[in-house]
Amino acid sequence: MSELTFAQVDQTVLDTLKPGGKSYWALIAVLFCGVLLGAGCWLYQIFVGVGVAGMNNPVAWGTYLINFVFWVGIAHSGTLISAILHLFRAGWRNPIARAAETMTVFAVCTAGLFPFIHLGRAWMVYYMLPFPNQRNLWPNFQSPLMFDVVAISTYLTVSSLFWYTGMLPDLAIIRDRATGFRKKIFTVLAMGWTGQFEQWRHYTRGYLFFAALATPLVISVHSVVSWDFALAVVPGWHTTIFAPYFVAGAIHSGLAMVLTLMIPLRKIFNYQKIITLHVLESVAKTIIFTGLIVGFAYATEFFIAWYSHNPLEQYIFLYRPTGDYAVGFWIMVVCNTVIPLLLLFRKVRTSIPALFVISLLINVGMWYERFVIIITSVARDFIPHAWGTFSPSLIEYGIMLGSFSLFFFLFCLFIKHMPSVSMTEVKEMLE
Amino acid sequence: MDRRTFLKIAGMGSMALATGCSPDPDRKLFSLVHAPDDMVTGQAQWYATTCRECPAGCGMLAKNREGRVIKLEGNPAHPVNQGALCMRGQAALQGLYDPDRIQGPLVKEKGAWRQTTHAEALSLLRRKAAAAARKGPERIQFWTDVMGAPLYDLATETMAGWNAAAPLVFEPFGYDALKAANEAIFGIDGLFAYRLDTADVVVSFGADFLETWLSPVSYARQFKTMHRVRKGRKGLFFHVGPFQSLTGANADAWVACRPETETVIALGLIQIGLDVGRAGHLPFELKDALETVVTRYPRAAILEQTGVSEQAFDRLAVRLFQAQKPLVLGTGAGGHGANGFATNLAVNLLNYLLNPKLPLLAFEQRYRVETAAPRPVIRQSIENLRGGQTDLLLVHNANPVYALPPDAGITAALEDPSVFGVSFSNYMDETTALADLVIPVRSPLESWDAYEGVSGAVGFQQPTIGRFNDAPALGDVLLAAAATHPSSPADYKTYLPDAINRHHGGIEQVGDWVNALQAGGLFSSPPAAAPRDTARVDPALITRTFDGLAERPQGPVLITTPSIRYFDGRGANKSWLSEIPDPLTKIAWQTAVLMHPETAEGLKASEGDHVSLEHQGERLDVPVYDWEGVVPGVMVMAAGQGHAGLGRYARSTGANPFRLLGEASPTGDNNAGFMAHPIAVQATGKTARLAMTAGSRIQHGRKIALHIKLQELRHPGEPVKPGLTMWDFPLTLPIPEGYDPKRDFYPPHDHEGYRWAMVVDLDRCIGCNACAAACYAENNVGVVGPERILEGREMAWLQIQRYLDPETGEKVIFLPMMCQQCDNAPCESVCPVYAPHHNKEGINNQIYNRCIGTRFCSQNCPYKVRRFNWYTWEWPKPLDLQLNPDVTVRAKGVMEKCSFCIQRIKEAHNVAKNEKRPVRDGEVTPACVQTCPTGALTFGSLMDPDSRVRAMVKDPRAYQVMGYLNTKPAVIYLKKVIQEV
Repeated sequence: MSELTFAQVDQTVLDTLKPGGKSYWALIAVLFCGVLLGAGCWLYQIFVGVGVAGMNNPVAWGTYLINFVFWVGIAHSGTLISAILHLFRAGWRNPIARAAETMTVFAVCTAGLFPFIHLGRAWMVYYMLPFPNQRNLWPNFQSPLMFDVVAISTYLTVSSLFWYTGMLPDLAIIRDRATGFRKKIFTVLAMGWTGQFEQWRHYTRGYLFFAALATPLVISVHSVVSWDFALAVVPGWHTTIFAPYFVAGAIHSGLAMVLTLMIPLRKIFNYQKIITLHVLESVAKTIIFTGLIVGFAYATEFFIAWYSHNPLEQYIFLYRPTGDYAVGFWIMVVCNTVIPLLLLFRKVRTSIPALFVISLLINVGMWYERFVIIITSVARDFIPHAWGTFSPSLIEYGIMLGSFSLFFFLFCLFIKHMPSVSMTEVKEMLE
Repeated sequence: MDRRTFLKIAGMGSMALATGCSPDPDRKLFSLVHAPDDMVTGQAQWYATTCRECPAGCGMLAKNREGRVIKLEGNPAHPVNQGALCMRGQAALQGLYDPDRIQGPLVKEKGAWRQTTHAEALSLLRRKAAAAARKGPERIQFWTDVMGAPLYDLATETMAGWNAAAPLVFEPFGYDALKAANEAIFGIDGLFAYRLDTADVVVSFGADFLETWLSPVSYARQFKTMHRVRKGRKGLFFHVGPFQSLTGANADAWVACRPETETVIALGLIQIGLDVGRAGHLPFELKDALETVVTRYPRAAILEQTGVSEQAFDRLAVRLFQAQKPLVLGTGAGGHGANGFATNLAVNLLNYLLNPKLPLLAFEQRYRVETAAPRPVIRQSIENLRGGQTDLLLVHNANPVYALPPDAGITAALEDPSVFGVSFSNYMDETTALADLVIPVRSPLESWDAYEGVSGAVGFQQPTIGRFNDAPALGDVLLAAAATHPSSPADYKTYLPDAINRHHGGIEQVGDWVNALQAGGLFSSPPAAAPRDTARVDPALITRTFDGLAERPQGPVLITTPSIRYFDGRGANKSWLSEIPDPLTKIAWQTAVLMHPETAEGLKASEGDHVSLEHQGERLDVPVYDWEGVVPGVMVMAAGQGHAGLGRYARSTGANPFRLLGEASPTGDNNAGFMAHPIAVQATGKTARLAMTAGSRIQHGRKIALHIKLQELRHPGEPVKPGLTMWDFPLTLPIPEGYDPKRDFYPPHDHEGYRWAMVVDLDRCIGCNACAAACYAENNVGVVGPERILEGREMAWLQIQRYLDPETGEKVIFLPMMCQQCDNAPCESVCPVYAPHHNKEGINNQIYNRCIGTRFCSQNCPYKVRRFNWYTWEWPKPLDLQLNPDVTVRAKGVMEKCSFCIQRIKEAHNVAKNEKRPVRDGEVTPACVQTCPTGALTFGSLMDPDSRVRAMVKDPRAYQVMGYLNTKPAVIYLKKVIQEV
């Protein structure tokens, strides 16, 4: 990377902002159609009832909450990379920090939609806000779902601000080179950044404090999400390991998603010299670590079920690997704990195709992890007479497709119109 | 009136009526601008009437609110049911509000129906009748279901005026075999009652007295009286037969025998009776004949033929002959084959052997259903129809096209253009579809009548609601159509009091009539009656019958039973009855064929696989249900579904086993048989999931539906040291004394005055589902249909859970499961908007308006009793008129669940407040508690130290389902008491 000059860095990034070609707009159009499809499915569900999804009496939570947890998980590693690794002074995070943060913000947005989609009466969602009303009715702050509202909205606010703050110097660079209408827009966005010493001093301090502020949120958000389950009495959910287990899983999936996004990005935008193989390799090494934590958590759950002597816990942990959803369980185990171990081999983690495939598999595995947790436990809980199974409906698939479309739609719009690599931070590395 | 106008008027919601004890039946349903003085909005009017869903004739009270009848409850003053109702009785409302009711007379012209007026239809009927009467005698037939004596008399007189015979009472389950056996032994060609409640050992040879047999609500109550724990003892009940009905599932022992061999077991018992010298009182010839018969059945032959183990047979014999007050019951209403008569004959003899005084046979109490025509008479009538001897056929409440096998020829007879068919049905059922004229008449809930289901219980019927349309009552049609009538009363209502007086007496003046109407009827004890002297039993008949026993069938056998839900099929268009699953199989909406897993394996079919059953050219395609309560080689199907017409809920759901029965009996036995063999059965390869509400058949060793052995109850062992695990967790009542700082982090709730609780005695629950039906009716619970049940979205607030013993599959335990109204409710803490709310009286309220539908409460409910409205459920008009105005109709997206019938609690509070006193124990009865025929449910306040529930929770059998979660449920269960036989 050292062979790059500052001008080359700027130029590489600015080149990505040139007007997109036909294929770019075709991609945007396809993704937008996906978003419309998802929105149409949701609208249909609002008019007809949540019955159009596959949920039923024992399994009253389905893919909507699976996708919620999945996207919140994805949203994790952005802040991890930009904040925690910033505090640790891990230089390899600089080239990917911007893209990872972008991923975070859009993933939180996508995730945030799912609780609404999930609701039986989405139009009554404002009951969850602590607004003054004549009946003096307040939300129930005992409920983990209220924790969620607080945690997710805080996380979205902080991560968006952090993301925007980090972008300021880059926005100024674009403003300086832009002409016409674009210049006006970026003038507003850059908020009068001139690169004075004072500004840089405030900026670096502020960025550091933001990083320190965001760090606990990385831990807290997914801990809170895990309490949606851990605070319930349901066997398979009611366990103290859930918070660290979910955080590790979230980082695991987020890092995989970073790889999934970065590998095509560096190819298409000629970022090979900025997002080097070393950066990808470092991400891969972290994935080995998170994969091991996740594997340990899986094993612990089984151990505790056996150790507890609780027949219901034991039943659930026999049911998961052998019951109706055994395929999902084994996809989860293999993709999340076995396949990442391949990255121990240098040959594998330096092979771009291998990294890409493994990252995709981990994403799939992490989706199934949420599926296994959310579905199996209530499908076989306390009262055998009430047992039942769940399979997603077409509407749920439509909404799931819509959510992926929405995420990639926003991400694709961003990378073509905003700096997808932090020029400032890359330049810091060059010094 | 056309259909649209009807719906408009009916939909206006409130109607004129409800005028105390003298409602005017001719008032129409209009909304009220000026309400009658005695009609108070919000206050119910109750009308006593009589249930006509089966021939038992239970008394009912119809609750009328703002002119609409919204709920039926048993009449506590009625001697038959004493306040309880079965699920069919509860669902009678849906017959009244059936969305597929025919609204006006129809006449068939060139194969198509044309609407006509009642005047025209009546004149057409009169013309046809007059023409037929002119042609000669016996040119008119009238088929009806069992009628009360006044209406039957009127019909007979009308028919006589037309020079025709009395109406033929057509009941698909007509007890032919039992009547014939009663005639042979006791000289009574009829059906009398049994004093089941005073017996100590009951042996039933198939009588399904908890479901449909004679008077099921009455016998359910009596059975639990006989079967309750008293001084450390319990009555014993043996069920003998090739399959286990719901009644059989409630037996202490099921003696599983091969089909058609019940007679042999009864003969075996007679032989033991003769051996132990119980036959001293028998006339010599009879004893001689019996001895000759039984010597042909040595013990080894009995065991070989029946497949019963020696041990089981000996236990049955020992217990029966040691009993102080033994009672043996014959075959069921359906479910028997060609040996039905022989079995009942042997049973009657056995009762006679056991005690010649026959103290448990109530000869003076005769069931009205005994007037049903025996099958030979029905066959002869069909013969006449087909032979051109009949010109006019009137059909009322009978559906022979559905209920008779195809080779009975009734379809051909009705299709014959020379027979003019008139149906008085409200529904386009199979028989009505073949008629030429349809004159819908008022349903029982809209009519004046009297019906004596059993001697001494003359139940009155009165209109419980205004009129939907201008349909006349059947009695009025008959009066108007009759050529001449001796007394020529103006209408049937005027005719009725005199007719009642003629038959039963007791209506001397208007006051008597009003009093009886308010009480629900005239109730008296009939004078004692004795059977004919046994000396006159024909020994030759004995020899002939038992010598001519039908052989054990070879090849697969199909047994048809009446259904606890649809009876003989008349209930099939009532959506509650389809929605509430069959108590034994937990299958809703569909008809499955029950077979032993071995049989199914032989067919290479497993649960849900379809098999084709073929017999005498008829074929049915039905799903298999594995059931260990059937002996191998036998298949059992309940009748009632598989309609070609009747209505939207009945059409093409399930299958009709009557089609396979075949009229021609292999033994030449003349009675109606309900067994067909050999059945050609094979798997079709088609498979479909069953609409089952049970997720698992067994409890997986969890603390859910518990039982205790009688010995353990008598000699309790060391008390278990309280702990914190599933099995040693103590009973924690939802009141302060149930809290212990060692277990509980939070302090107890403050309850104001009351802490409502329910005690469920599993030892009394027979699994009949009456409570579930009452709950649907009271609480506006949505009917979701078969597709949604397959998706797992049934809405029942109260379910009877059925669990089988993992080791012996035919041992069944039922557990009514509804919201447990926990004191530490897991649902309450997880809701972000406080929609589940703990009220001051301990009830876990669900605030529908507040609910946003996160469904976390349902996920966190250990009992899985919360029901989510996945859609907005529909009540096709006019079914919506049945909705209880005191209960919110829930829209899509909100959670709901059992509320302990909070509207009834509120009502009791209001009454108590007006009278300036607290609510008394027993004043609040939720709908389920009210209707339970066996008194398994008790409701009250735990804060009241003298309440019944407070006393019951001290029972050593008391426990809480999954109590170790420390949810402190307010539903306390009492363990079922089982006894080793």
